[in-house]
Order: sequence, then C-alpha cells, then structure tokens
Amino acid sequence: MKNGKKMHIGTLMTWAGTHVGGWRMPDAEHGGEDLDVVVRCAQIAERGKLDFVFFADGLATSLDFHPSSMLHLEPLTLLGALAVSTSHIGLAATVSTTYSEPYNVARMLASIDHMSKGRAGWNVVTGSQPEAAANFSKEKHPPHAERYAVAEEYLSVAKGLWDTWEEGAVVADKATGQYIEPSKMHVLDHTGAYFKVRGPLNITRPPQGYPVILQAGASEAGLNFAARTAEVVFASQQDIDEAIAFAEDLRDRCEKAGRPRDAIKILPGLAVVLGETQEDARNKLNEMSTLVDPVAAMKVLSDRLGEDMSRYSLDEPVAELPESTLMQGHARVLTSMARRKNLTLRELRDLACVATGHRVAFGTPEEIADDMEEWFRRGAADGFMIKTAYLPAPLDEFVDQVIPILQKRGLFREEYEGTTLRDHLGLPRPAHPGARSEAAITTDAPAD
Amino acid sequence: MARENHMHLGLYLSWGGEHIGGWRLPEAEHGAEKLDVVVRGVQAAERGKFDFVFSADGLATTLDFHPSSLVHFEPLTLLSALSVLTSRIGLASTVSTTYSEPYNVARLLASLDHLSNGRAGWNVVTGSQPEAAWNFGKDAHPDQAERYAIAGEYLEAIKGLWDSWEDGAIVENKETGQYIDADKLHILDHVGEHFRIKGPLNITRPPQGYPVIMQAGGSEAGLDFAARTAEVVFVNQPGIDDAIEFRKDLQDRCERAGRPRNAIKVLPGLNVYWAETEDAGKAKLAELASFTDRAAAMKVLSERLGQDLSVYPLDGPVPDLPPSKIMQGHANALKAIAKREQLTLGELLDYAAAGSGHRVLYGPAEKIADDMEEWFRRGAADGFMLKFGYVPQPIEEFVEHVVPVLQKRGLFREDYQGTTLREHLGLSRPPHPAAATREAAVGE
Repeated sequence: MKNGKKMHIGTLMTWAGTHVGGWRMPDAEHGGEDLDVVVRCAQIAERGKLDFVFFADGLATSLDFHPSSMLHLEPLTLLGALAVSTSHIGLAATVSTTYSEPYNVARMLASIDHMSKGRAGWNVVTGSQPEAAANFSKEKHPPHAERYAVAEEYLSVAKGLWDTWEEGAVVADKATGQYIEPSKMHVLDHTGAYFKVRGPLNITRPPQGYPVILQAGASEAGLNFAARTAEVVFASQQDIDEAIAFAEDLRDRCEKAGRPRDAIKILPGLAVVLGETQEDARNKLNEMSTLVDPVAAMKVLSDRLGEDMSRYSLDEPVAELPESTLMQGHARVLTSMARRKNLTLRELRDLACVATGHRVAFGTPEEIADDMEEWFRRGAADGFMIKTAYLPAPLDEFVDQVIPILQKRGLFREEYEGTTLRDHLGLPRPAHPGARSEAAITTDAPAD
Repeated sequence: MARENHMHLGLYLSWGGEHIGGWRLPEAEHGAEKLDVVVRGVQAAERGKFDFVFSADGLATTLDFHPSSLVHFEPLTLLSALSVLTSRIGLASTVSTTYSEPYNVARLLASLDHLSNGRAGWNVVTGSQPEAAWNFGKDAHPDQAERYAIAGEYLEAIKGLWDSWEDGAIVENKETGQYIDADKLHILDHVGEHFRIKGPLNITRPPQGYPVIMQAGGSEAGLDFAARTAEVVFVNQPGIDDAIEFRKDLQDRCERAGRPRNAIKVLPGLNVYWAETEDAGKAKLAELASFTDRAAAMKVLSERLGQDLSVYPLDGPVPDLPPSKIMQGHANALKAIAKREQLTLGELLDYAAAGSGHRVLYGPAEKIADDMEEWFRRGAADGFMLKFGYVPQPIEEFVEHVVPVLQKRGLFREDYQGTTLREHLGLSRPPHPAAATREAAVGE
C-alpha cells in the first residue's frame, strides 16, 4: 500500500503534556511560556513529517486547572513565532467565535497564513469554558444554540473577509504607478443577526484561500456545523466500533450537506505511552498516576462531564448525570465507557487524567502501529491527533519509533510532498467566489 | 540603564516606505506581505542598535489608501515572528482600544513580551480611522471624549490583568507536586463604566512587568492621557521651537500628574533620506515626487487635516479649516508649516506625501546628524521615530552612514547595554502592586 491512502497525523501540543501529572516526570519540560521548548517540540513533529501541530486554547484560568493549561502563551502570537521556526509543518490553533471580533481574527489568521506560506489552520470553537464570560463583560456564557448560530455567521463573515481581494489584486506596477486592481476588490457588506461587517479586509487573500477549518464539537449542533464547514474534525471515541459509527454518521451528514463523504478528515485523539514491552509501558503509566494532583484531575473530569464531580463519592460507580451543554462529545464517550467497564468515579478520574478524556494506547511501537493501522483500515479514523503524557521526550520517541513503522507499512508519508497544510491533508484550495463564478460561466458555455 | 545623554531611535515599519510614491523607485521593495523584506529592514535596525521597531496599524482599508498601508501583515503576529528573527531590538505595535477586548489584547501583548524575553511595546490608540466602526458592528466611530474614556479604563484593566500573577507564581516543584503558589494570584474583578473583567489572566506577568506604553495622540485629551500613562510619545512637530515647547508642555503635564518630568521619552517623527551629497539627496526627493499618485497623496493629507481637501484647488492657498477631531497633532503641525512657508495646497500635498506629514531631512550623514543633535541637545526630542521613503535600502544606508556619526559624537549607544525594551529606553520595570505594597510596609 506504498502509494495507497495515507493517514494524517497531528499532535496536540499541550504545554506540558496531557497527563495531569506528566510535568513532574524527571525529564519533563514545560513549554507553557518557554518558546524554546515549544519550538523543539514543533521541530520534532516536523522531523516526523506530521501534518500539523495544534494548540488548544481557553479564555479563563483558575487554580484548579490542569497544570498544562493554567498559564501559557497565546496561540496566535505563538504560531507567528513558529511560522519562522519551522518550514513545512501545519500550524493550527483554537480561536473562540464567542469572545472575539471576526475582523481582528480574520486578519491574524490571514497574517499567519502569509508568514508561513500557507500552513495555518483554525479550530473554530464556540467556547467550552463558561468562566470566560466574566472576562468579557458578559453576564453569562451564551446558551449552546446561540453560540453555534454565532459561530456559523462568524465563519461566513471571516471567509467573506478573506475573499476581499482576488488573487493578483496587488499589481504594484512601478512603471504605470498602478498599485492595486480595483476590479479585484470585493466589499463584503455583511449584515446578519449577530455581526455587521463591511470590509474590505486590510490583508490579501491567505495563500491557502482560507486557513484549514478544524472543529471538535460533537453535539448535534456541532456535528451539523462540522458537516457543513469543517475540513478536519477531532473526535474523542474510545472504542473502535463507536468511532466507526461516529465517522459514518459524520460522513452521512457531510453528504446531506452537499459535500463529498471524504471532505472531512476525522482524527480521533490518541494518547500514546510507549515502552519496550507492554509491561514497561504500563509501569510508566502507573508511575505517572502517582504524580497526579487529585484536585486538578477531578477538574479535568468535571469539565468534560459538565458537572462538578468533586461532590460525588470517589468509590461509588459514576452517578447518572444530566446532559452536558459544554463538551457533549467527551461527556458521552466517558459516561459510556464508565458504564461499559463499570468504573468507579476514582477509576474514571484516573483514566481521564491521562489524556484529558481521550483514548490511551500503551505498549511497544509495533503494538501502537497495529492499533493505529486497525482504526485507519476499518474506517474509524483518517488519522490521529497524537497526545503525549508529557514533553518533549515522549514525542521524540513517537517520531523515532512509531512513525518509521507506519512509513514502512506505507501508511504514512516519508517526505512532505507539498508545502501548504492543505497539500498535506489532501484538501483542495477553495477558489475565490469571483473566480468560481467565472469557472461556472466557462463550464456552462455551449460546447461546439 | 541607558545613559541620559543618549538619544533613542525607533524604526517606523512602513510596509512600502513613507513616501507615497516610494514603492515605485527601481530599487524599492514592498514588505506589506513579504516577510523577508520586513526582516531585512528590521535586522538592519538591530545592527544599528535601534531601541525598537514600531508597526502602526489600522482596522480598515480603501482603494485610496497610501500604498504602504492598503494591505499588510497584522502587526502582533508579525512581531511574534520578528521576536524569533531578532535578539535585542524592541518590538512595538499599535493596538486600538476601541475595537478589541482587554482580555484578548492583554494575552497577545503578554505573549509577545514572553516570546521576545521582554521586548514588547504597545502604542495605545483610540482609533483614528472612522471607517473601522463599520467593520466592528458599529454605526459610527465613538466620539473623542468617549474613546479616551474607554482607553483610560481599558489600560487600567489591562494592567490589572497583567498583575494577575506576581513574579514567581509558578513554583513547578516536581518533588512536592506544587505547580502554583496560590498566594501569588490576584484576581482583578474589574467593574467599570465600559468593562467588567474578572480575571485572572491565563499567562504570567510579562517579563517587563508591563510592555512599554506608547502614545501618539496630540489632542488635549490625548496629551493628558499620555501625561498620566505614556512612557514614549510619538509626535509630529514642524519646527524645533514648536517641538521644544511641546516637550516642555508634556513634561509639565507629566509633573502635574505626579510623575517625574523625564518619565516620558518624546520621539518626533523624522524622515531621513541619506545621500552622498546634498544635491544627490535633493535629486532623490525630486525623483520620488515624480512618482506621487496625487489622489493617494490627497487622501493622506485629508486624513491628517481631518477634512476632505480634494474639493479645493491645488494652486490655491491652504483653506482655513475647523479644528480636526481625529489626528489633531498632525493637523496642527501641517497647518503651522503651511502658514510659515506660505504653501499652496499642492505644495503642502507634496510635503505630506514625502513623509506622511512628518519632517523630512536629506543629504550627507554629517548634515543629518547635525540636525538630530540640535533637536536632542536643545530639548526638542529624546530621540526620533525614523521613517524612510522606501524600503529596505534607505534603512541600511542610515545604519551604515548616519548611526556611526551619532555614535562617534557620543549621542547614541555603541551596543545594547540591556536585553529588554525598558532597559534600552532607560525605563524602570514597574513592580507588582502587591510586591510594592509589601516593600513599602517593610520600609516603614
């Protein structure tokens, strides 16, 4: 399958690793505010020919946060720095549509796409931290349905702003003095339920047309939004059959939205703990479990279940909970696993704190590659969001030990073949709507 | 600490050059969206030991904009990239307080300060482009008094956010498992007229405490705001006497606001055209003038005077205009020049086209250095915001020819003495309020 379909691999660059206690490992480094550590990690991922590095983000913090996400660099400025510290790897980050202005965000993402020559990606989130509202002069976090309605309009505004200038708008003809071609400017003039944005944007169209659109929402509203607009979806299924069902459902929705079934690359999260033997890997996991702060670990679980779990008894089975309005995908997957495996709250907490609720695979490099191959071949995944318990050593190990196996099996690229994130992911570059309608005219012309 | 007898130099990052026709010179390059061109200019400035580079910014564009500001990189992402490609020079940018959220901007600037190990600066503007309102769901640009009221509260709130964590809040003790020192957390809980912000910020205190605060407003409200809060002020003054008076007035205001007279570094804008000879400099300016797009030049002039001037004849006198509500400093300076030199509207247009309304110097290094030295010694300036007609060659020429003359005269540093922008500017690092209070208590 040397020339067959390849998987796509991104890595979640949690600042100090996904494991709540990972930062305490002797060789762990914390990249929260240390650019050197982050750059080293991004360069490791680039050495492994990964599709992209991804930074999650939030707009609030408190003392009971996961030590990896309590305090950290702001992702868009960080991506600006990484654009000139890497050469091929895609650079993606979360930006919330609930607490920002489309004009500001469209500029920043376009700017990163220009500086990186087409490597930017945007994880569109509606904000999963209700605490953020208090930092933005709002009484409360808007309700779920409203957040998605805002997000949908926001995204269409951002795309309209990116389409302000057709390719070739900047003529810069020194001889004639013509700097700009006015017919290539398109003033958006958007008036909607939530935004009024006239345009034009003061930066030209991003090299990729639009940055790659990523999403992670797993609620009904989130899935339908993804089906209409996402190009990469992060998923959180723990079980292969659940993952296949999730992927099939999303592909159906995608088709219903008038897009090809394979328009979205579905990347389940996968935390990898490597060892020389299965036993060795398990020991590493156990060692890290002893390093966990129980309060931070419970906060991770509570966030994902949408309920303050510290009120419940640790050694009882996980209680029946009302439906979450925040991270619905995580909540569903975690409660389903708790039921399936009959876990106590303590056991669920310890599992969730390894990879903030994502699936954990531990074992030898061959075993990890087998697992990934099975998920990929059976249609449960187009690739994976790799998470590591801490940084940078486990990422290094993944790149040195697992990637070569995947390459040998023909499941992953040996070299970057293109230069943009869209190239890496096999996604088309969206044509400018002006150019699109011209193409339509050409196609519609009678063939004689 | 920088020596008091050293001037401070900033590079005004003009994407395609300050001269409106500058981009058309054969040797000109355009850095609006070409990172390597920007980097060449900035690295030259760092070779020249400049205090900082500065990117102006706007939140709107139209076809009749100056070609340098029509389409361009977003400054905060750009400065972040520059933080990796430079090691000492300060990195400053405009961010408007009218069209952004303090929590977002506090993070962006703190992050830039961390990425650059303490080299960030923020030009606090209330927004001078009324068109921006339409890009942010507003029907009209708020009036000046309201914009400054917002800016005052915004700056206070943002400093509070930067003070969320005292220095050393991250303990990160792998042995004990203590990640954070909870006593060093300070929750802002700001409730004001325009903002309600709880905090804490999700990034630690910037290495500089706060990024260096810069301002450029030349209106009454702007000057009082600067006197209370600014550490660097950009100004446009047509002549040395005006500039001396301006600086003295600002220092008086500063003193009245309870700050030392030298708390603010006043940096007038200055366009420099270095050339082997005076005649060569004049010829370069004439060549540039031949490239001027008069419609774009008229837009620049109209913006700076706060009035559409395209309706007036070019060969007539500059009309009497009502006081501008937007760029008052620029408007006053240009009107003074027009009056002093008895310029026609067309002549004023060419003057403004050459340097966006700022003063223009041309000729050999000694002549340029003489002028700069006079302004500096007579108290008209603490240094200069240097602008160049096109990029990046004139920046390199200035660094190669003029900087050594300033250094030889002992007017400018031979090398960086510190690592942060505050150190370059001789500004102290603001202590955390809690730490300051504790120290005061110990002292009593």
